[in-house]
Amino acid sequence: MNIHTRLALLTGTMWLFGPCAFAEDAKPPCCRELSASTPFTDRSIYQLESDWTSDIGREIRLGVFRGHLQVVAMFFTTCESSCPIIVDDMKHMEKALPEKLRGNVDFLLVSFDSERDTPEVLHAYREKMHLSTEHWTLLRGAPDEVRELAAILGVNFQKDARGQFMHSNLITVLNTEGEVVHQQAGIRSELQPIIAALEHATQGKP
Amino acid sequence: MRASWKKILTALLGLMAAWPGFDSRVRAEMPPDMVVVPTGNYRPLFRGEKDPKEIPVPSFALDARPVTNADFLAFVTANPRWQRSQVKRLFADEAYLQQWTSDRDFGPPENAHRPVVFVSWFAAKAYATWKGRRLPTTTEWELAASAGFSSSDGANEPAFLQAVARWYSSPTPAELPPVAASRANFYGVYDLHGLIWEWTSDFNSSFVTGDARGDTGLDRQFFCGAGSLGASDRANYPAFMRFGFRSSLNASYTLHNLGFRCAKDL
Repeated sequence: MNIHTRLALLTGTMWLFGPCAFAEDAKPPCCRELSASTPFTDRSIYQLESDWTSDIGREIRLGVFRGHLQVVAMFFTTCESSCPIIVDDMKHMEKALPEKLRGNVDFLLVSFDSERDTPEVLHAYREKMHLSTEHWTLLRGAPDEVRELAAILGVNFQKDARGQFMHSNLITVLNTEGEVVHQQAGIRSELQPIIAALEHATQGKP
Repeated sequence: MRASWKKILTALLGLMAAWPGFDSRVRAEMPPDMVVVPTGNYRPLFRGEKDPKEIPVPSFALDARPVTNADFLAFVTANPRWQRSQVKRLFADEAYLQQWTSDRDFGPPENAHRPVVFVSWFAAKAYATWKGRRLPTTTEWELAASAGFSSSDGANEPAFLQAVARWYSSPTPAELPPVAASRANFYGVYDLHGLIWEWTSDFNSSFVTGDARGDTGLDRQFFCGAGSLGASDRANYPAFMRFGFRSSLNASYTLHNLGFRCAKDL
């Protein structure tokens, strides 16, 4: 076990002791309760019945994100090329959010790497990239569930012999019902279309 | 004492395995509508510089025929949420089963033996799960489809290559032929070429954008790791077409010439 793994495990373990000790309104996205009062809409990706684990070790269904806008990307922590840039792009988006959108927009990163991206590894990544617990969620799932989510988002991916993933660079905006309302391919693209999509999605029903 | 028991057991097992009927008795558990595709090596059409030239594929069972309208009717009857009027838009687009006359009627009786088309990836996956099966992976599908009429490598059979090329270069007929009407391949599988396109479990692992004749057709900006891929066999146009087709699909799409068949672990 190298020093990085040790550190990752240590921070992960420390974190596990008190994952949800937050005031009700400041709960991290993953710690909200699944609100199933009304059925999800026909186009909602929250209809998926797959189970995911967040970087704080909590098992969730995607439906817990209902009620907040989500900016979603798929990635993996050992990615050597574009993933860090995508995450960086998303951080820029967070900074560029107009006042009225802050607090209502969450950022969701889902890993391709079911094998290596354990909750501990994801958590170390969160620390390294300085992603706030208030609005950022990092998830891992079983290979079939990752494949299904990717299929639904239109993300293509393939694992190569070195265990690296070749994948589409795609950022998706989900409205409060979990419906895809905007997608943006590529890296270092303009922030304005995404901000506009988020503003539009808060203004009324899609 | 223990050691001698072990010896006797080993001898018994050896005898059983040597008994001519043993293998076929094990195989008999396989559903009659499936065939075994033996372990083989698949040469990926697209691979990275460091990726192996061949991927070993463990033996698996594959439906000998694509799933038909009659098969699919049994599924939607047992699972009403997959009927035309009830399916959720997330899981199938507006054209889902549009060739049928109603929720539980696929139209004229001759449709019974035609392959079911206008089905989404989700619907195909749900059908396979209901049957206790799964969709084949792209690698499995391609391995099965690389067999010719009389050998496991169709690339050496001019008659096979001609038949395949003829299909890929002709449009889909208005009325699809019934399944298993053409010649089975070496493994006893029908219609891998010549009838419809088929879903695979990981259809979204293909990376072909636009024109695949020149470079790899990939763009660094849109695909992470894109620069490292090259095509292993540029002359295999049917395979290019299949990969291009798959990479253009979305899991909820339904098309007039896109169906599926199931696979199963052995």
